[in-house]
Amino acid sequence: MKRHIAIVEDEPALRDNYAAALARHGYLVKTYGNRKLAMQAFGTRLPDLAIIDISLEDEAEGGFDLCRDLRALSAELPIIFLTARDSELDAVSGLRLGADDFLTKDVSLPHLAARVAALFRRIDALRRPDNAGEVVRRGALVIDAEKMQTTWNGSPVVLSLTEFWIVHALARNPGHVKNRQQLMDAANVVLDDNTITSHVKRLRRKFLEVDPAFDAIQTVYGMGYRWLE
Amino acid sequence: MSIRLQLLIVALTTLILPWAGCQYARELETALRVSQERALEASADTIAHALAAEPQRVFRDVADAAPFAQNEGDIYVFPLHGQPLLDGYREDWDVPADPKTLPSEGGHAARLQVGSTERYLFLYLEVDDPHIVAEPLSPHPEDRFDRVNLTVERPGGARETYFFATGAPGLIQAQTVIKGADGIDRAASEPRIQAFWLQTSRGYHLEARVPLSLVGPRLWIQALDSTGGKSGYAPLESAPGGRLFMATPGLDDLLGTFIRPGTRATVVDASGLKLGVAGAVGESESGEEDEAGGTWYRRFVTVDTSAWPLQVISAERINGTGVAAALAGRPAAEWLRTGGGQELVLLAAAPLPVGEQVHGAVVLEQGGDQLLELRDRALTHLFNLTLLATALAVLFAFSVATVISLRIGRLRSAADAAVGNDGSIRLDMPESARADEIGALARGFERLLSRLNEHTQYLRTLGGKLAHELRTPLTIVRSSLDNLESEGVRADQRGYLTRAREGVSRLQSILSALGAAARVEESIKQAERVNFDLRELLRSAVAGYRDAFAAARFELDTPHDACFMHGAPDLIVQLLDKLIENAVDFCPPSGIIAVRLARSGSNYEISVANDGPPIPPEMLERLFESLFEHRQGHDDKPHFGLGLYIVRLIAEFHDGKALAANRADGDGAVFTVILPMI
Repeated sequence: MKRHIAIVEDEPALRDNYAAALARHGYLVKTYGNRKLAMQAFGTRLPDLAIIDISLEDEAEGGFDLCRDLRALSAELPIIFLTARDSELDAVSGLRLGADDFLTKDVSLPHLAARVAALFRRIDALRRPDNAGEVVRRGALVIDAEKMQTTWNGSPVVLSLTEFWIVHALARNPGHVKNRQQLMDAANVVLDDNTITSHVKRLRRKFLEVDPAFDAIQTVYGMGYRWLE
Repeated sequence: MSIRLQLLIVALTTLILPWAGCQYARELETALRVSQERALEASADTIAHALAAEPQRVFRDVADAAPFAQNEGDIYVFPLHGQPLLDGYREDWDVPADPKTLPSEGGHAARLQVGSTERYLFLYLEVDDPHIVAEPLSPHPEDRFDRVNLTVERPGGARETYFFATGAPGLIQAQTVIKGADGIDRAASEPRIQAFWLQTSRGYHLEARVPLSLVGPRLWIQALDSTGGKSGYAPLESAPGGRLFMATPGLDDLLGTFIRPGTRATVVDASGLKLGVAGAVGESESGEEDEAGGTWYRRFVTVDTSAWPLQVISAERINGTGVAAALAGRPAAEWLRTGGGQELVLLAAAPLPVGEQVHGAVVLEQGGDQLLELRDRALTHLFNLTLLATALAVLFAFSVATVISLRIGRLRSAADAAVGNDGSIRLDMPESARADEIGALARGFERLLSRLNEHTQYLRTLGGKLAHELRTPLTIVRSSLDNLESEGVRADQRGYLTRAREGVSRLQSILSALGAAARVEESIKQAERVNFDLRELLRSAVAGYRDAFAAARFELDTPHDACFMHGAPDLIVQLLDKLIENAVDFCPPSGIIAVRLARSGSNYEISVANDGPPIPPEMLERLFESLFEHRQGHDDKPHFGLGLYIVRLIAEFHDGKALAANRADGDGAVFTVILPMI
């Protein structure tokens, strides 16, 4: 059965390009130009994954509203923000509203497709209880690469896809310094240095929420970050 | 010319006030003079009319109005105040006039002066007779000796001749020749007429005293030399002359009843000879010369009197146009200078008629100094007041001007500083709350600056907006290229695709650079400050740069102990990244990049010096501006000058600053960031 992807994007050319690329990867793609049309459709049937732009026609933050409404309809539905807006604030807002990833439009189509595939893989893995996938254990940290789940001292740490890949890249080789480019490559995103920095900052905060003594991600100034065991 | 100077000059125009005051004072003085003239004229006229009613109290001989003729032997009799001693000297007469020279017929030079007290007539005669022949003890009519003849016309008209002769100097009596019964003339003493014969080196003096009761209207005196020479006048039957012009007894007292203190009244006869004098011209009793301050501006105010006639002082007569006019029948007044020209005297003369004829004049003299003092007092007041007013006006104008120029100066420096080197604009102007023109100017500046600021803001955000707006079409292009590639292109078409991708990727990096400044500003806003060791950060960062930029050689120089500071380490690293990137860009292969951390007062100084081309001096100031690019790097990466702008933003976030300079050897550049320790 073909996966059903909804793209909510007000720019028709872009919308069609995304749709064509994802369709080529075997997805069933439906596109919507604004929030109202999208919500009408979602009311009838939920997609398997939603890719949402933040500003939709005359609604500057219509994507955020749409995300909130979608999350109300389904707690599990994977949502990716794909937007020209690349500010830190937007990313934080989007992820806080329950989006699974936040991508800027600089992302290439193959990358986008990879992201989508990764998200579906996570969902599939979560649905398979008898999972024996690749698991990375680093002390208190357990990373299930198959389910894309992370736990610290047994407590789940809810990470966005980008964050997950960053932790994964760091924890796989503890003590090795990963520079920003390496982290970006691992996460399959094109970000500037600042965004990486803020991702790492947010990562630390998420771990600190679980364990106030968390100190495993070290900044190596001028080089990057490394995982300390 | 500064506003202060201009207003000062304006204020100085109040000096017109004292000037106008001077003009006014002069006119006042002139008016006062005229009124004083009129008043004195009127007084003179009044006195003249009062005296005219009783001419016999004024003139000894009312009928005789013939003018004084000295060359015919007329004699002026000076009024004497006090009884002179008969001693042959006239110094005790106190008459400020020299004896008059007598005509001479082969005689010696002789001089005569006559004076009178209330009861006596005094005669004083000097004869320059080098060879005195004394009177023999028993004179014989034929005997020749030096003597002085005195002929007196008695009040009744009879004439009596006396002579003075002496064998020895000293007190003598006049002698008269009496024709004895035997027909022989004999000398007889006249004890009522006393004299003193004084012999001097030049000749002799004779001082004689004759009771007024013996003296009528005429008198002749003649010095006879032993050789027969004569000096003086001898009485002639028919000829006029020898008349005595003397003050009328009682006239002084009579005049005294008419005058006020400070005024001198004189009655002169038709020849101008004084008949009676009363009172004295008021001396300027201000012996205490006006205060030093009062004198200097007198010269600005005083009517110029230097051309006025000098009063001719004469003991026996009053001259001048005023008296002449009065004697011609017209009352007149004139101002005269006296006392060496320093003091002024007002002289008013009124004719003194007897019947139809003018027999004399009444002359009143009054000092002009009271007037001057009056005026000076008023003027001194006026002057002091106007000077005070001027000083106050100048002071006030000066302070107003100072305040104004201070305010303008404040506005000017604010306007100068309104646009900073970094293009930031301060909108608030001093003085803008004031209601006056300067306030309006300040508000004008504020409006101008706020418009400028809007424009600057627009320009500043233009890059970011542009980047944002261009991003969607760029994404369309790129995603279309992605799709095209996925759909499969022919091998011969792949080149175009690759080139299109390269172009897109360049466009993308330009756009991301354009938006970077805005993102940095935002991340700076969210930065959290912590305490960290700057030295440790620098060491670890430089270690990272050694890995990242293998081609360049890094040198690191830090203090020996930890350098703690409060700030955002991420941002500091970012700042270092930008400085190092910049240095690497311009550092030639195998060049050295020297990173140095040092303490400087309460600051840390991080400097990054690289070998390479120096920065043109005019660029140094602008290097840290947004999107300012000055030099060509080694690689093909687009440079938008954002790196150093970010350095500045981060330094300023830490209350520090960033500086650029060329190395002293001119073979490289040094970028220094100064960061406060706390």
